[in-house]
Amino acid sequence: MGNYFSSMFDRLWGANKELRILILGLDGAGKTTILYRLQIGEVVTTKPTIGFNVETLSYKNLKLNVWDLGGQTSIRPYWRCYYADTAAVIFVVDSTDKDRMNTASQELHLMLQEEELQDAALLVFANKQDQPGALSASEVSKELNLVELKDRSWSIVASSAIKGEGITEGLDWLIDVIKDEQL
Amino acid sequence: MAPLDKKIKKFLKNSIRIAPKISDKGELAELRTGLVSQYPQTRKDAIKQTIKQMTLGKDVSTLFPDVLKNIATNDIEQKKLVYLYVMNYAETHPELCILVVNTFVTDAQDPNPLIRCMAIRTMSMIRVDKILEYIETPLRKTLQDDNPYVRKTAVICVAKLFQVNKILCIELGVLEDLSYSLSDENPMVIANAIASLNEIYSLDETAVKLPELISRHVDKFLNALNECTEWARITILTALSEYQAKDTMDANNIITRVKAHLQHVNPAVVLATIKVIIKNMNYMDAGQQTELIQKKISSALVSLMSTPPELQYVALKNIRIILEKYPEILTKELRIFYIKFNDPLYVKLEKVEILIRLVDPSNLKQCTLLLNELKEYSMEFEPEFVSRCILGLSQLGIKYSNEKFIQKVLDILIELVESGQNSINDGCCIAMCNLLRHCPTNASMSKSICSLLNSWSSPVTLLQQDSAKCNYIWLMGEYPQYFSTLGDKINEFVENFTGESTLTQTSLLITVVKLHNTLEGSVLQNVLELATHETSEVDVRDMAMIYWRCLSIDDSSALVSQLCNLHAPVIDSTIDKFTPEVLEKLLGQLGTISSIYFTPMDDSMRKKLQHQNIIKGKHLDELQDLAKNELENKTNDDILLDFDSESVNTAANQTQNNNLLGDLDDLFDFGTSSSTTNGNSSTGSAAEGISQLSLGNNNSDKTSGTADSNTQDLLNLF
Repeated sequence: MGNYFSSMFDRLWGANKELRILILGLDGAGKTTILYRLQIGEVVTTKPTIGFNVETLSYKNLKLNVWDLGGQTSIRPYWRCYYADTAAVIFVVDSTDKDRMNTASQELHLMLQEEELQDAALLVFANKQDQPGALSASEVSKELNLVELKDRSWSIVASSAIKGEGITEGLDWLIDVIKDEQL
Repeated sequence: MAPLDKKIKKFLKNSIRIAPKISDKGELAELRTGLVSQYPQTRKDAIKQTIKQMTLGKDVSTLFPDVLKNIATNDIEQKKLVYLYVMNYAETHPELCILVVNTFVTDAQDPNPLIRCMAIRTMSMIRVDKILEYIETPLRKTLQDDNPYVRKTAVICVAKLFQVNKILCIELGVLEDLSYSLSDENPMVIANAIASLNEIYSLDETAVKLPELISRHVDKFLNALNECTEWARITILTALSEYQAKDTMDANNIITRVKAHLQHVNPAVVLATIKVIIKNMNYMDAGQQTELIQKKISSALVSLMSTPPELQYVALKNIRIILEKYPEILTKELRIFYIKFNDPLYVKLEKVEILIRLVDPSNLKQCTLLLNELKEYSMEFEPEFVSRCILGLSQLGIKYSNEKFIQKVLDILIELVESGQNSINDGCCIAMCNLLRHCPTNASMSKSICSLLNSWSSPVTLLQQDSAKCNYIWLMGEYPQYFSTLGDKINEFVENFTGESTLTQTSLLITVVKLHNTLEGSVLQNVLELATHETSEVDVRDMAMIYWRCLSIDDSSALVSQLCNLHAPVIDSTIDKFTPEVLEKLLGQLGTISSIYFTPMDDSMRKKLQHQNIIKGKHLDELQDLAKNELENKTNDDILLDFDSESVNTAANQTQNNNLLGDLDDLFDFGTSSSTTNGNSSTGSAAEGISQLSLGNNNSDKTSGTADSNTQDLLNLF
């Protein structure tokens, strides 16, 4: 009964349910910067995240619980602790870091194989577009082998967290997809 | 309508909970689903459940990653719960702890001081290397925090960090920050900084220059003293007591500033204040002023006597130390130490100790009053207390040292013995012998004592304690003429020889040798054989050997007669005293546990407290190294221990028998010319040693009073 009522109230107000979104990516890709760009709309100076940051933000009447996990090699194995009940994954790539594109691709595909993430939508930010020599979104897409992804709604958006470009566009797409899937 | 709408929304938000699903997966799985629920309230409930299981002792450590997900929250209650969980299980999941680091660092910058405080406190409590790597920034930030509450916590965290990882702590340089905290404007921070520095100093004296720091901040401490809590006051006062005043002015200043605290309600504060004052009194000349201060101390001590018995006991122990330094301080207050019928036994015993020490031997009225009090007490029913009082009677008699008075004491003792209680015979026997030792020439007294003791048909079974038997035998040796059934009594003791303890055996040996002319020949032979063959005590055996040798050399008559005419020296007091060094140390440690055990805390004890290391979060090889080091340390300790105990033994022997052992070699290859002198000195000192021994056993603390350096060694052992 409790279950029934609570879900009914949630439908009415859409208030209490939180959607889990993970922001993942290699270290130094700009995950924390993107998180706080979403949260407070400003650029904060960040330090390498040892562990995680989590913020709750309301976006288009949805409560999002956004988790930004540290990208260091030592922390990556613990990403899996956070996969359960995740609605979407935002994967951030440093577009200027051509050397590690391969590593990023590996990590991404490894992650997407996880059973718990089968239903999660994927948004890739080709970040740091403000920097010279950054690869374009399509080039990044090719490097990451995104075409290979089947049975999953995914999208890639060129972005610059510093300038605030592309972030909202990407999130809008993500929210639309989630709404479609959840409701 | 908007506010109402909001209200309803809020009400619903708080009330919506998901009823726990009944599943067959078990409790842990249920909790896990709760912890990762999409609804905040459900998550909080699940955390509460988890903590509940934890406090019940169930292992919920497998939930670690899931609980961790809830650490980032604005709800302070929830945060506290998660911190509690992390603190408890961090060591079982050292590798996952790394996920908390970021939260700790962010929380240490939270606008809410409570959260900043909680973060740094919890972080420093987790004994995991990986977490400590990241402690630098938050610790430094909180040490400089605007809020004193946060600073005072951070200051303690430095000591915690030092304990867990000394090298890191020194590398980070937070010790300097800690030293700066001594000049903080908030008294609580100062007090905690002192406590923290003290802790570090006791772990490693080279890490901080504590004495220097204290002397630089004395003024600061004195100012802070008036504005902080009682515990902070104790810490500050203890620090002040370590400070050496520069001159009389300085000492005077300190005394004036702290003396107000003598009236504090907390006895620990009072004792700490007394400690500081006594330390600084050394720098002042005797005069009106010191008298005034002593009066103040005395009234403070008196007020301590109106506390509950447990505190009274501590106060009494401390008073005993203070009395040793300033015997006249409480003389006028003798009355408050009189025993009340409802005092617990431990307080009663301690009060007798104080009474005996306190009474002024030049004041007949006071002594008589105390005598009557003690007489009353010895009619009580607690055997331990009664025997202490009986001993106290003899101590009082010896202290007042007047024949008439001693006679009075003796009358009371005789009356007690004649009252027919067997349990007090031991005490009375010892007490009477002590009195005789004090005035050995008083014929009427010795006669009455001996005739009383002679009337006991079987002293071997009547007397229980080793020391009592020893005294009885000594008495027979000293005054054989008053014992009508001497032979029978000695025979009885000899028959029982193997069953007796060392004191009785030695005493019996001496007495039999002394009386060998009056006793039957076989008794001497018998005892010497028993003492050399049947006993496991080296001292007894060696002594018997020497006597045997002395008796069996050719022209030994002069030596033997000298041996037989030796008397134990006259005793002036049977009240034990501390040696000056011990007393000085104890005065510096008033109000601590050492003041109760009368054993000063020193460095070797501190080292014992250091064997705490982080084990969790280390690799196997590190652990192996750790274990190896530990083992090496242990063996070192063992060797030290052995060495110490040996030295104690030899040292003890030396004082017991003075230079008996040294003379032993000479004795065995003596020439006729030197034989008399050698034999004389050795046996003389042996007898002296024995009398000392018997005294030592009368009062269990006696050893700490008489054996100077030995006690020191002994103390080092523990």
